[in-house]
Amino acid sequence: MRDAIDVIVLPSDKPIDVHALDRHDARKCCSVGSIVRGRSPPTRPSRRPSLASGTLFWPPRWLLLGAALALSSARAALAEPADPAEPADPSATVDPSETGEPDAPAESEAPEPAPPDEPSAQESTPATPTPASAPATEGPAPAEDTDESEKVKPHTAGDDDTTTAGQRPPDYADGFHFGSYGRVIAGGDATGRAPKNADIVARGSRMDESTYAELELRREDYWEKTGVRTRIVATTAFAHPVFHYNGDFNARLAVRNLYLEERDLGVAGLSFWAGARMYRGDDIYALDYWPLDNLNTIGGGVRYDFKTRTTLKLHAGLNQPTDPFYRQSVLRSPVHNQLGATEVEILDRQKLVSSARVSHVFGVGETGGIKLVGYGELHWVGAGQRELDAMNYQDLPSDLGFVAGGELSLFTGKRSTHLNLYGRYAHGLAAYGEWGAPSQLALDLTSKGAHEYVFALGGNYEVGPFGLLLGGYFRNFRNASAPEDFDDLTEGVILARPQLWLGKKRLFGLALEGSYQAQQRGVAVEQDDGTFKALFGQMGRVGIMPFLSPGGEGSYQRPHIRLMYMLTVRDAGARSLYPADDVFSRRGIDHFIAVGAEWWFGSTSYFRD
Amino acid sequence: MGDRGRGERRARFHRSAALALTLAAAPACVHFDNLEEPIELATHAGDWRDQVIYQILVDRFADADYGNNYGYAPDHMARYHGGDWAGIEQNLDYLQELGVTALWISPVIKNVDTDAGVDGYHGYWAQDLTATNPHFGDLAALRSLVAAAHEREMLVIIDIVTNHLGQLFYYDINLNGQPDILIQESGKFGKPVLHTTEYDPDFDPRGIQAFTSLGEAGPAPIIFQHDPATNHMPPLPVIFQDPAVYNRKGRTYNFADPDQLLHGDFPGGLKDVDTSRCDVKQAMVDSYARWIELTDADGFRIDTVKHVERHFWRFFTQRVRQRLAEQGKKNFFMFGEAFDGDDWLVGSFTRSDYPDAPTQEQLDAEQACAAEAGGPAITGDQLDSAFYFPQYYQVIRDVFQNGDATQKIADLWAQRPMNYGTAPTAGGVGLAPADIPVNFIDNHDVPRFLFGVADRPAAERRALLHNTLLLLFTAQGIPCLYYGTEQEFAGGNDPANREDLWGSGYATDGATFRLIRRLVDIRKDRPALRRGAVNVVWASPHTGDESDAGVIAFERQGGDAGGDYALIVINTNQARDASTLFEDTVMTVSAPPGTALVDVLASGGGTFTVAGDGTLGLTLPPVSGAILVPQGS
Repeated sequence: MRDAIDVIVLPSDKPIDVHALDRHDARKCCSVGSIVRGRSPPTRPSRRPSLASGTLFWPPRWLLLGAALALSSARAALAEPADPAEPADPSATVDPSETGEPDAPAESEAPEPAPPDEPSAQESTPATPTPASAPATEGPAPAEDTDESEKVKPHTAGDDDTTTAGQRPPDYADGFHFGSYGRVIAGGDATGRAPKNADIVARGSRMDESTYAELELRREDYWEKTGVRTRIVATTAFAHPVFHYNGDFNARLAVRNLYLEERDLGVAGLSFWAGARMYRGDDIYALDYWPLDNLNTIGGGVRYDFKTRTTLKLHAGLNQPTDPFYRQSVLRSPVHNQLGATEVEILDRQKLVSSARVSHVFGVGETGGIKLVGYGELHWVGAGQRELDAMNYQDLPSDLGFVAGGELSLFTGKRSTHLNLYGRYAHGLAAYGEWGAPSQLALDLTSKGAHEYVFALGGNYEVGPFGLLLGGYFRNFRNASAPEDFDDLTEGVILARPQLWLGKKRLFGLALEGSYQAQQRGVAVEQDDGTFKALFGQMGRVGIMPFLSPGGEGSYQRPHIRLMYMLTVRDAGARSLYPADDVFSRRGIDHFIAVGAEWWFGSTSYFRD
Repeated sequence: MGDRGRGERRARFHRSAALALTLAAAPACVHFDNLEEPIELATHAGDWRDQVIYQILVDRFADADYGNNYGYAPDHMARYHGGDWAGIEQNLDYLQELGVTALWISPVIKNVDTDAGVDGYHGYWAQDLTATNPHFGDLAALRSLVAAAHEREMLVIIDIVTNHLGQLFYYDINLNGQPDILIQESGKFGKPVLHTTEYDPDFDPRGIQAFTSLGEAGPAPIIFQHDPATNHMPPLPVIFQDPAVYNRKGRTYNFADPDQLLHGDFPGGLKDVDTSRCDVKQAMVDSYARWIELTDADGFRIDTVKHVERHFWRFFTQRVRQRLAEQGKKNFFMFGEAFDGDDWLVGSFTRSDYPDAPTQEQLDAEQACAAEAGGPAITGDQLDSAFYFPQYYQVIRDVFQNGDATQKIADLWAQRPMNYGTAPTAGGVGLAPADIPVNFIDNHDVPRFLFGVADRPAAERRALLHNTLLLLFTAQGIPCLYYGTEQEFAGGNDPANREDLWGSGYATDGATFRLIRRLVDIRKDRPALRRGAVNVVWASPHTGDESDAGVIAFERQGGDAGGDYALIVINTNQARDASTLFEDTVMTVSAPPGTALVDVLASGGGTFTVAGDGTLGLTLPPVSGAILVPQGS
């Protein structure tokens, strides 16, 4: 009954909701990718989002994508949209190798590597050992949910069905398709303890992320009569632990996508979707982080691709984070004197999240380009009422928040070389993140005053047998309560992963990784000299990862089988973020040793069209 | 082809007709007869002295509706077992075979479901005075039971409690908003460690006080619980959600203290209602009279009456009688339970001569309340009768079980006119309270009779039970039989004395069952046994080797019995024969000399003749008795 009351986070000095953290972390670990603003992980490192957990399967996508979009872009963008009445023969996409897109020279020039799951495509484009840099296609933006690839390969009649093999999404043929992202890790620390994400910031190294996999079943249809393409996507995801770890038949299972999309509906370039969907833009693979846009809602959206390589996307959806800020159920007596007790949702409000994104790609040279993205979100939740104690109700006012941000992407269009720069400001409800429930509220019980700004960068550079992945961000969050508290934080990380591919076919590789991360929180810590300073923790990590890459070179080439070792050095401040008896609270130096695998192919996570 | 076409048309017609009939019949199918039938109150009770009451603990009598067996645990005595009203109705044949004529059923209202692992199966933990206890059934089931009983000329008495409600709130003594068990003192320096539960703190005449480590902090607030799963929910009707309607003084630990007796919570955390308030009086009338209006039941058995002020009883009983009489329900019987051996105290709730000697100011206040509530002025009338606990202690326990002198019986009975009153209540059952005590040999609050003699040989135990039943069915008043007695249940104290009757298979051929039936029949046949006055003709102060040690003899005649006469002679002596004579004195009876008296109880029907001097000397074996009536009468 008095359920949930103790986890309602009230404005001022209420303790942090540990349970809420758990939930958030859990989400992260599944790679939703967002940072739970305001409750950052380090507080409870043990439950942090993290690395260990999660995430991102995305990075590759742009690679793949990029490839697709790649070069075709410029011209494609200018091409005339297809006449919906005379759609291309979708069957043409069945065999990429046979595609004969008439006007896709760019693609042929820079044949993008086919998605890893399409050996035939790869074989057909052996000449491009280097996967076209393209992910960038659209820009370095690897992941965009929407892919600009469409811009690149405009809706010219039939052409998106006839892109060259390497640039095409896995398969366009009518029928069912399967795709997957997955990573499996077996390892631990030097004493044999189970692996545990060690980052003190929300997003750090991916090497100690835990097992996670997505299985996607997709249905593609082209309606000759109308020229419309439909796609139904159902993506399930599994998170650690899996059966072979604990022998438990229960799986941590989520449905990550369940939506229907209609493209070229009436007007070429116009598409609609509705359902439950991961909806996001470009990520920083090295950090498993979508700094600008990363939404998970049930709703719908519309997108229009202009002929000018400009894309506009609008979306609105609902979600309800599991938190007493949104939902509270209480026990009540059944009606009409029936026996027992029944649950009543006394508070049951949903969050409405809407987003708008406009992007434009400026072509530079034959393959390169610059992408500019403008982005905004509006978050709203209605007023409600919750029960603090038996029959003691509290009115909760409606709440608002917004996000404004942008991205600049520079890409060469070759070998996935790109540099993405992000800036994002979130206010009010939105400052706590998509899944985060506002805590430490303002005195009027709203999130008014909470804010967060993020500056991030991500990139990749490849030349010859060398590659360099980069990721970093700086983040500043303040919750809605005026006084500084533990949830107010500033943090940052910079990470670099140089890689070297070896052998004639470059089937082997060696990656090194180094990162530095630091975090400052709004609590004072007494120093040796008796003075007080805000809590400050820092950590350095270096790792080495030899791997096998049957697909050859490329930062975004998968699958991989790899060995990993990582050394972590944390200072006293970092150790103080962990509760007593947590090994991280005692260890200044830590070792992580693991063997693992990572793959991706054929799912909507890695292509857009 | 033509034939086939006609056949098809005919078939279609038949199908259509069937469908139309089905649709036409549908409205009838959704009619809930039991729920929608209006209740019309009527007077079903005749002379209450003719009744034989059978006390039923609903949860333990019979289970005929598995649909309401929610959260029950029939293997554990302190939990719900599944009995329900439908079960009683289904077994009315059994009850009729036994011969009982009035069913006293345990409380019908919604209770706290479970508290500290013990269920409210007994019904004395009221939570909602307006709703039925769903474990026993719904209103339709209760109505159906009452109607079925009436069809068999059986009456139904509903058990009610006005003194307290269930454990619905706690005293927030340490002001932290949650129920705690508090520990005070360290046990050092001669100070004992004190445990105080906020659910049930000890009585404090000032009201329960909050305290902190620095000392007291004023009256402790009370906080109603909200736990639907156990039905610890705020009470209904709404007036009982007002803290002011409770005395809030904590648990009674000294019943001799009048303040505690009247204003303390009943042990177990049952919250004492401030029954001195006019609004509470009216709320109780409204709540409980409604159950009669809803069911047409015939009487109230009222719990814990000694814990409630007499002015409450004057108001409650009179207003209930008046309200029901206006609707056609007369002769409504209300008897109260005062769990006490003090005859004066027990009787003080049936007398109409103001035994509590109120001051004029108090009487004025009483009348002011009566006026405020509407209706005629309040008189001194109270309950119609009392559950005869003094007899249980002084006669059943002391004499019949433990062999004490039978003189105690005579002495006790002799006080009854004075203590209980001889004036019938106005608009009541038309009988003097002193003439209609509700007699019992055990009930749900005391060990069963057989448990009290468990150390005797089996045959002796049964003889003792039968001898006591003889008294029960022949003493002046209304016999009340606790369910299971007929099956020789022998459970100890609560809840062991609340066995499932279905364990007996509802056998009707047991010796005790048959004896009871026989006693019922004799009582039915003999007006003297039902309506006659009582006159003790022999009682012995002896408990030793004296010839009359253990003998009690009393006549039943006069009153409304016409010319009927009965002489009951019982030897309670558990060791030897005893006679109605001592030294030179022989029992004198009022039957004319020469009257031949026959023992209608004995199978052989022995005959005894009153001597010329009016004496009658009888010798009875140990633990035996006789009902003597004039031969041929």
